[in-house]
Amino acid sequence: MRLALKELLRKPGRFTVVGGALTFLVLLLLFLGGLLDGLYLNSTGAIRSVDADAIVFSEDARQSFLRSDIDPDTRATVEGVDGVGEVGGLGLTLLGVEIPGETDIADGAIAGYELPSGNLPAPPPPGQAYADRKLEDLGLSVGETVLVGPARVPLEVIGWVEDTNYLGQNGIWVEPGTWREVQNANRPDAFVAEGTFQALVVRFADGVSDPGGLRLEIDGATGTTESLSEADAVLAIPGITEQDSTFTAIIGTTVLVVGIVVALFFALLTLERAGLYAALKAFGASNRSLVSGLILQAVLVAAGALVLGGILTFLLAQVIPPVVPVQFEPSRAASLAVLVVLTAVLGGLVSLRRIIRIDPASAIGTGV
Amino acid sequence: MLALKEIARARVRFGLLAGSVGLLVFLILFQQALFGSLITGFIGAVQNQDSPMLVFNDQARKNVEGSFLTPDQATAVAEVDGVAETGLIGQSTYTVEAGGELQDAVLFGYELGGLGAPLTLNEGRLPEGPNEAVASDDDADKGFAIGDQVRVVGEDGPVITIVGLGDDLRWSVAPTMFVSYDTYEAAQRAANPGAEVVFPSLVAVRPADGVDKAELAARIDAAVEGVETLTRQQAVDENPGVRGVNQSFQIILALAFVVVALVVGFFFLILTVQKAKALTLLRAVGAPSGYLVKNLVLQIAAVLGAGFVVGVGLTALIGVVGVGDLAIDLEPTTVVATLAGLTVLSLLGGLASIRRVLRIDPIRATADAGRNL
Repeated sequence: MRLALKELLRKPGRFTVVGGALTFLVLLLLFLGGLLDGLYLNSTGAIRSVDADAIVFSEDARQSFLRSDIDPDTRATVEGVDGVGEVGGLGLTLLGVEIPGETDIADGAIAGYELPSGNLPAPPPPGQAYADRKLEDLGLSVGETVLVGPARVPLEVIGWVEDTNYLGQNGIWVEPGTWREVQNANRPDAFVAEGTFQALVVRFADGVSDPGGLRLEIDGATGTTESLSEADAVLAIPGITEQDSTFTAIIGTTVLVVGIVVALFFALLTLERAGLYAALKAFGASNRSLVSGLILQAVLVAAGALVLGGILTFLLAQVIPPVVPVQFEPSRAASLAVLVVLTAVLGGLVSLRRIIRIDPASAIGTGV
Repeated sequence: MLALKEIARARVRFGLLAGSVGLLVFLILFQQALFGSLITGFIGAVQNQDSPMLVFNDQARKNVEGSFLTPDQATAVAEVDGVAETGLIGQSTYTVEAGGELQDAVLFGYELGGLGAPLTLNEGRLPEGPNEAVASDDDADKGFAIGDQVRVVGEDGPVITIVGLGDDLRWSVAPTMFVSYDTYEAAQRAANPGAEVVFPSLVAVRPADGVDKAELAARIDAAVEGVETLTRQQAVDENPGVRGVNQSFQIILALAFVVVALVVGFFFLILTVQKAKALTLLRAVGAPSGYLVKNLVLQIAAVLGAGFVVGVGLTALIGVVGVGDLAIDLEPTTVVATLAGLTVLSLLGGLASIRRVLRIDPIRATADAGRNL
């Protein structure tokens, strides 16, 4: 182990090339992970923010907020189902948002809601809004009034909320009356009547043991709704499942390349050191200590690549245009780091058999 | 040939390298195929309709779904100097009953005989009256084949008969139908019974002969308040989703190209360093530098060739399986350009090894009486 460490410290140049390749692979992995997280979080924040046990859509909407329509009678039926605790309306309208002093129009998802949650305070007074903090990066400040949609409905921003975007549009959270005003002024072809919402956020009473069963009960009682868990409502957002599977496949393939590159490098290194290993074995070094040294080197090279790749990713993040929806999450970086190190260990182990097969007698010219 | 014999004797080493190059080639080709499919799947309907210019609401951020124009704006656009013809286009997504099940489908309504008709009809005919449609041929087996009937869910939702099919006419990767503007209005009223009015999403514009599109777009935007005019290509390229995806993919591709060059470069550099003594001896017994370089380049080419086979094969396999509702199609020109680019980059990556081979001094074979060889 000590020998391996000394070699790494005294001849770092020997490991530069594999380290360089791994650094770029780490950069690629972190960027891909950031893109996946950015796309996912930016699309699903609004749904994850409402703390629902069930999100109730109209049956023919096919789980689309924009096509769903829940009238007051249906809501009353849902409220009457045994086991239902709190019920609140939810509506979303996608519109452009004019920020004072900014020339570019920002993307906005104007959300009308009733129930506060862990992520959302109680609805603001009419005409006022909580804005997603991502709008701060686009030039918005608390206290400013934004103009929403072609009808330029004014909304005064009175505070920030975090991670509340929907379909990549910046969340702007208002009380139901303000949402209807925004919707009807800007989308007269999709008029929403008083008391009507696109969907209902339902929280179950304490002690409900079968949430899936209760969701079915709700749909049975109304006969016109489809109730989804929060997780299923997230997956019902167009493109989320395909996005996740595609990026996971790309990340998986890249990790595989990491493993092969490490395996390749240490296979070459082992070949080069065959004589040295034979001599070490002749002096009593065990297979275990030689393999441990090699694995230590693989781990350290991977760790170095992770640090450098992380720095490069940070630098890249500074110059990426805002249109690229990349978001770097510490949890993603940590899981990728573990994956890269484990893959490097596995790659290093490819040389295990070759090291074990080295005959110490070859050190004095009588081996195979 | 020495180079090929070495590969045959060190199959694992070269196999691993070819495998990693193959996976990287797969990553690059797959992402390009995915990007191409995303583009046609998301915005094929706009790309393959016949209006040369499209007028959006300026608050729509170049997003068809977010755009609607008032009748006054539509009239004003038609009156701008240099406009030869205009037409209304309505677009929205509906729940429809097709093939015996509920599905999402997009309608593009246009004034029959006017602008906004699909350009890629490959079977059947264009709609000639209300409740007829041309659909994307990708969805023929989902209840959108010629003769199939599609009902828009809602009060008095129109029942639309498919009369034609076209290539790449999807929108948002959903089945898409080109119908008369009246049919679009009927669908919109069925889906939104409370709607006070139905507005067009876009105004299609054909410039008069000899009128420059960019100049006309600027003139329309100046003359009509609250609109943004784009050429068809701009509407495709600057679609908010496409722009973000395009830049993301460019960064990923650039990184993948760099990694291929580095991996190939580092492998051959290590190999050359390891073989330095043997190469020196070969030079001493009369092998010219050119011969050694040729062998090195041949090995790079062999590894790349094997990697290309793996990469293209894996991509073709994914093409057969598809990704969700996306058909993965890879243009041969894209494959050729990618492989050519990778070959050049890999040879550049191998330059350090080539330089090292060229610098070998045969006289070193005599140093220490050649004991080190």
